[in-house]
Amino acid sequence: MENYYLLGCIFIPVLGSFLLPVIGRASEFARNLTALIMVSASLVFSILLAGPVLAGRVITISHELPLGFNFILTADALAVFMAIVSSLVGAIIVLYSFDYINHYGNRNEYYLMVTLFLGSMMGLVYSGNLILLYLFWEITAIASWRLIGFFREKEYVLKADKAFLVTVFGALLMLLGFIYIYQITGSFDLPVIKAAFKTNPVPDIVVILILVGILSKSATLPFHTWLPDAGVAPSPVTALLHAAVLVKIGVYVFARLFIATFTIGQIWHTVVPVIAAVSALVSAGAALVETDMKRIIAYSTVSQIGFILLGFAVGNEIGCAGALLFILMHGLAKGGLFLCAGIVEQNTKTKDITKMGGLFATMPVTALSFLGCAFSVMGIPPFGGFFSKYLVFSGAANSGNMWITLTFLAGAFLTIIYLFRIFNLIFLGDAQKPPAREGSRVMVISVAALAILSIAGGILIKFPSDFVQIAVKQMMGI
Amino acid sequence: MPSLMILIPLFGVIILNLVFASNDKMKRAAFWFALALFISQIAVAIFHHPIFWNNSLKPLDSFFKVSFFVDHLSFIMFICIGMVSIASLFVAKYTITEEGGRFKFINLLILASLGMSGIIMVKDIFSLYVFMEITAVSSFLLIAYPKSLESLEGAFKYLILSAVATVLMLSAIGILLLASGGTSFFAIASGIAEARNSSLIVFAIGLFICGLFIKGGLVPFHGWLPDAYTAAPASVSVLLAGVVTKAAGIYTMIRIVTSLFPYNQPVNNVLMLVGTISIFVGAIVAIGQDNFKRMLAYSSISQMGYIILGLGTGTGLGIAGAVFHLFNHSVFKSLLFVNSAAVEKETGTCDMNKLGGISQKMPVTGATSVIAFLSTCGIPPLSGFWSKIIIVIALWQTSHYAYACLAVLASIITLAYFLSMQRRVFFGKLRSGLEGLKEADRGVLAVSIILAAITIGVGVFFPFFFNIFILPVKEILVR
Repeated sequence: MENYYLLGCIFIPVLGSFLLPVIGRASEFARNLTALIMVSASLVFSILLAGPVLAGRVITISHELPLGFNFILTADALAVFMAIVSSLVGAIIVLYSFDYINHYGNRNEYYLMVTLFLGSMMGLVYSGNLILLYLFWEITAIASWRLIGFFREKEYVLKADKAFLVTVFGALLMLLGFIYIYQITGSFDLPVIKAAFKTNPVPDIVVILILVGILSKSATLPFHTWLPDAGVAPSPVTALLHAAVLVKIGVYVFARLFIATFTIGQIWHTVVPVIAAVSALVSAGAALVETDMKRIIAYSTVSQIGFILLGFAVGNEIGCAGALLFILMHGLAKGGLFLCAGIVEQNTKTKDITKMGGLFATMPVTALSFLGCAFSVMGIPPFGGFFSKYLVFSGAANSGNMWITLTFLAGAFLTIIYLFRIFNLIFLGDAQKPPAREGSRVMVISVAALAILSIAGGILIKFPSDFVQIAVKQMMGI
Repeated sequence: MPSLMILIPLFGVIILNLVFASNDKMKRAAFWFALALFISQIAVAIFHHPIFWNNSLKPLDSFFKVSFFVDHLSFIMFICIGMVSIASLFVAKYTITEEGGRFKFINLLILASLGMSGIIMVKDIFSLYVFMEITAVSSFLLIAYPKSLESLEGAFKYLILSAVATVLMLSAIGILLLASGGTSFFAIASGIAEARNSSLIVFAIGLFICGLFIKGGLVPFHGWLPDAYTAAPASVSVLLAGVVTKAAGIYTMIRIVTSLFPYNQPVNNVLMLVGTISIFVGAIVAIGQDNFKRMLAYSSISQMGYIILGLGTGTGLGIAGAVFHLFNHSVFKSLLFVNSAAVEKETGTCDMNKLGGISQKMPVTGATSVIAFLSTCGIPPLSGFWSKIIIVIALWQTSHYAYACLAVLASIITLAYFLSMQRRVFFGKLRSGLEGLKEADRGVLAVSIILAAITIGVGVFFPFFFNIFILPVKEILVR
């Protein structure tokens, strides 16, 4: 039975997405609803998988194919956790899209790509074979390329092309790394690779190649520039790509390969945190001076991804647990921020924060949701973001990298400053004329849901943290 | 009965011209004859039933003094030839409006495909040469038949360079005949094996391979190819890019290299070097092109490089990958040329600077072109990814790490020029003046959709396809 859950989780959205344009010809509403059902199906099936997985089982589907391109799906705690996080945020974003997207063209393509994207995300997290993982990795790249270029202006399409090129460049290097591993172990299967590298770390060249792929997908310095540029996409897309799902692919693969599958040389436990620290500081600085609302939030994502990488890279249990929680909390909160920005943008017709102000009076729910999500990103208790950030810091401190920990503290401080700045400029101060209206009901409900989940994640921290602890135990083989 | 693959089209063309050429109504039958011919060709190749292929028609074969042989490589080529010819046929029906012109075109198309069928079935080097000339001569006429200055120039360039290739190959055949006492593949292979280090034989091999490089349009012998592809009428570019250069150049290269001088390291080194240079030169020059068809032509050069690179590994896996890429390339490149034909016909131009946002008016053409170009760039799960990764793995296994890295990284250049093509032609805002644009006619759309479906299908059901069609190709090394 679990096998069907696993297959359904991936293939309902992946295959179903191609039906959406057909349904869309008959009825707009039916198509939107079908898209939501397909994405929710992933969520439901992943939650159903959580039961057996938390009991310590690992569900595997495996099918031999020529040349070692085997079809292997593995549902362990890490995979199920990622799947639940991405499909949860994905479902809320699809719901939000109902009202956001309904007055633009190319709606059929939009729903097709969003559903395909979330489906291949599911495929990616459950992949137990490097080639399969690469396959879904590139499908997400194709989908995000079309989604970023959603508004067909020339410069937007250029930016979509840029994002596609950067991520594919990284992916190709990563593929070379995979082939290198294949040459050593004779297999692309993760369990076989894990057994082969049980005692000795993988060669550094492989780490470098795969790391380039991860950094380009997760938009970390020096491959981060595509992400702020991709802010030209519609807001639900930016939320989906930049906050909740796409950028998490890179850090997920980091956890899956470098922690759960093979060990890396000791040097990388210093190098990766340094890269992450530079990335976190530089992009936080950029977020401080930008005036385009979506670019600020995008830079903030680049900065927060640095924290996640730090958590994974320090190589101890606490940091790893913190990073996993961070993925959840950041997905919820940053998704919420982007969606709030979408409401603001749609109703004020501008993205420049210096031209806004006083919107609190006219859009109170959006403002409160924005504030809630911002608190979570800043890491203010009792919001969920606090616990994840705290665990990452304590993991980093435990590993003895004092300077890096202090650098990240500075980064966290900058986060607070730029998020208050953007909140002040948009929602407080003098009201603009004419005052902008509140967003539509579905949109407001979506952002409020994300804000409530952000605070609930903090108050009910026990549930996610139990899950995460099991995942970490499985990953580190304790 | 493999000789039927030659005899039926041959007599078909004769009968068409004797009986059907009298009036326009009857000329239409040529289209259906050609279509039936190509479909049945694909069918017998897909099912490759031994009753058809292994029995010979005694009286007929001895009368015409032909003997052919087929293996899995030939089957794949038959499928390619049939498929691309059908695509070309439908594009001709769509672009050539005048009935007489279309009739001439179909006759020449059948002759060209007959020549290619011959190339892939012969087992001696001289017959190979004869069929190559049949194909080449029909191609000259096909390129030249609009009789515009441009097309005559393209045909002329092709003619001259082909003549050079012919001279090279014919001299090589002469030397090989002297050295080994026969022209059959078997006789030459044993002759070469005996006199491995004879400088005369090395010279002959060099000449022959240079001739094939010209035919296949590989760098540095590629000068004719972009001109010929661009100048040729749309339906002919489909044919040329889809199969002609592949059957005459690349297929022959695979056949010659594997059955005449297998395991020859210097030859392999040359192949890999030329392949890599072609990949990069083709891709880099393609970035700067403004003409849709010219960009596709350079892209073809670049993709041919991959095939040669795979062949150069000399291993079964590398050759299987090369053949697989050959098949995939003939699918997605003819798809792109069909798209370009639709764009050219509807907008009247191939200049990418004058186009833009066409997807909105021609959604099927736009969507299928996206599938084709992603496959060319080797983006999974489309077919091109699998053939490229097999080639890369084969390179890696033979410890050619640098070539493997270059082959992988060239994909990013491929992606770059195709993204620029998409942006300038299909994606983006509709350019003013194109508001009245219509989608291409149904036949062409059907062809586009089928070719796109093959690209996706081969990619998604890759293991099935690979086991049944591609893996058996390895046996050509064992023979």
